[in-house]
Amino acid sequence: MIDVQNLSFSYAGFPGMALRGITLAMPKGQLCSIVGPNGAGKSTLCYALSGFIPHFYRGVLKGTVRVSGLDVAESSLGELAGAVGIVVQNPFNQITGARFTVFEEVAFGLENLGVPRDEIISRVAESLALTGLDSMHDQSPFALSGGQQQRLAIAAMIAMRPAVLILDEPTSQLDPIGTREVFGVLRRLAADQHTTIVLVEHKLEWVAAYSDRVIAIVRGQIVADGTARDVLTSDLIEEIGVGSTRLTRAARLARAQKLVDSQAALPVTLVQTIDFFEQKDR
Amino acid sequence: MTIPFSLYAPRESGLHKLHPLTKLALAGFVALCALVLPRAASYLLFLLLIVPLALWGRVFGRLMSAALRVALPFAISLLIIQGLFWQTGPILARVGPISIKLDGILFAVSTIGRILAILSSFVLLSLTTRPDALMLALSQRGLPDVIAYIILTTLQIIPRFQSKAQTIIDAQRSRGLETEGGLLHRIRALLPLVVPLVLSSIVDIEERAIALEARAFSHPGTKTSLFDLSDSLPERIFRWSLLAIALIIVVVRILTLRSA
Repeated sequence: MIDVQNLSFSYAGFPGMALRGITLAMPKGQLCSIVGPNGAGKSTLCYALSGFIPHFYRGVLKGTVRVSGLDVAESSLGELAGAVGIVVQNPFNQITGARFTVFEEVAFGLENLGVPRDEIISRVAESLALTGLDSMHDQSPFALSGGQQQRLAIAAMIAMRPAVLILDEPTSQLDPIGTREVFGVLRRLAADQHTTIVLVEHKLEWVAAYSDRVIAIVRGQIVADGTARDVLTSDLIEEIGVGSTRLTRAARLARAQKLVDSQAALPVTLVQTIDFFEQKDR
Repeated sequence: MTIPFSLYAPRESGLHKLHPLTKLALAGFVALCALVLPRAASYLLFLLLIVPLALWGRVFGRLMSAALRVALPFAISLLIIQGLFWQTGPILARVGPISIKLDGILFAVSTIGRILAILSSFVLLSLTTRPDALMLALSQRGLPDVIAYIILTTLQIIPRFQSKAQTIIDAQRSRGLETEGGLLHRIRALLPLVVPLVLSSIVDIEERAIALEARAFSHPGTKTSLFDLSDSLPERIFRWSLLAIALIIVVVRILTLRSA
């Protein structure tokens, strides 16, 4: 679904490389989280996967990016829009301002894709229900709170049913309940509709619980790639400043104080943590 | 739902249900007639076309209050200036050195009628037509999507821009910026307000452009629409007839003016 070969990029007018030699393949239906310190190139990677690099942000691009069968550099943003969806950080600026209600705002992308009216209505209603916005369908998108706008941006993308969905910190304005809803929606999209999801996220507990795969990036390079448990418990992840989940820290502390058998792998989810302290091996 | 900077008044009425282009054509027709026909005809246009339409659309009260609010200042100044400064004709009244001329008053009254007819025809259009429906109708007839987008988004972005400006003013004042006082003081206070406003707006535009592209704004192929703008054969015939009548009126008017 996503195939990146030796991708490097530097922004025009900025010295230094934002991405260096990224090679990456993601199958259909995988939920992959990207972690890394600020300025590591996470957002740049998001833009490169969705075509805003090189079509919107100029610079020197090397290597190839193929997303759902399209060569990103060869395709226009208009062609890519139906295949790759992107939700960026600032929820307020993702409201297009072209429509007057939440319902119409979500419908806007489908209108542009040429989806028939009946299907627009059913798809918009479905994605508003998924994101918990159905009671606000008649309000002005600008009247929503930050968290609601963030869910609106996600709803607008879900409705377009892209094969690949890229989300850059989609829960930054959400409370724990909203965060859980969004992760639940993403999990369901990956499972039911086989959407390939790339997620940049700082909330490690959620990343650990919901990701099929975690990739760590530092200074534009992939430094770790594997299951959440492998990547998020590595010493490297502490060194690069991403930190660990509270669960991992608790287990690490317990092991340091010799409360548990030191052979067990460190946990990242609640279930793994319980097993870790019960010293079961799953 | 409220639409900023729009007069739109949602009602269940036959006028609301008409195709936006039909209403636009009507407004254009009234405006053209008001400009081309003798000034006094404007009152007839207003009474015989706009008032019944407004009643049909159940927006008569809204129309009158909106139209009067705009037209009244014009009316008053027209009456005063034309009444006092008209050079010829019989004198209606004389107060010391000031004299009010009948012809000036007549000219003012007929001009007010013209303003009233043109103004109220477009107010009626805005009262009964959603701006997005009008833009959709126009883009279906070939108006570039970008222009329709600019018009619609401006309606929504300006209130956001104002609230952002207020946020910046509050932020700068909380850092000790004096925004009140003498003129020089206020001018000096402008820079720390304008610079962040302009810079952050440029950043916003960049992100909004990304959002638009992500929503397939430049997707090749035909777009569809959530709204069903129902257009009927009678409405089409009506619009073409309006155009034909308008042409006839213009031609007849030119001919009569020549022969006069």
